[in-house]
Amino acid sequence: MKSTKVLDAKGLACPMPIVRTKKAMEELNSGDILEVHTTDQGSKSDLTAWAKAGGHELLKDTEEDNILKFWVKKG
Amino acid sequence: MSNTKVAIIAANGTLFDAYKVFNIATAAAASNAEVGIFFTFEGLNLIHQDKYKNLPLPEGKEDFKTGFEQANVPSIKELVAIAQEMGVKMIACQMTMDVMKLEKKAFVEGIEVGGAATFIEYAKDANISLSF
Repeated sequence: MKSTKVLDAKGLACPMPIVRTKKAMEELNSGDILEVHTTDQGSKSDLTAWAKAGGHELLKDTEEDNILKFWVKKG
Repeated sequence: MSNTKVAIIAANGTLFDAYKVFNIATAAAASNAEVGIFFTFEGLNLIHQDKYKNLPLPEGKEDFKTGFEQANVPSIKELVAIAQEMGVKMIACQMTMDVMKLEKKAFVEGIEVGGAATFIEYAKDANISLSF
């Protein structure tokens, strides 16, 4: 999937993945896709909730070698 | 979430309390909620310029120190800065400051000083009210 921007939030604990995602999202336009990489297991539910709260769309998420990846389309 | 309003009372002063307060506050602010925190009694330590950089662990929980280091959690100082950057309203309790003989300049910049009525006015239409 083609992403507009990639945010590396690996190694960060709650609430930083969400805080960084919010900041990165601010720089994008509606329809752009932000790709977020994390290692915090809690970010799976957090990013889902965050996207819902902000009117964004979580297009896809994967987990491989303990690295979680999310593709969020800005609403 | 943009219409969500969160009102938090921070009344305790250990490192655990600080993380509870600021993690919820910054996560809510990052989700576009309006967030206000009323700091009272030991909770004032969480925004006290000298104390907030080195808050104590609760008694008997000193062994959590390495856990905090290994989990790579942000420092309280960082979280306070993030909260301020995202517009979290911070109100220090005037009455407690008087009792503890503390002045506004003892606290981090950007806070407000107010009484219980200030918090009640802020919190009266909050969707989420929390006390730590």
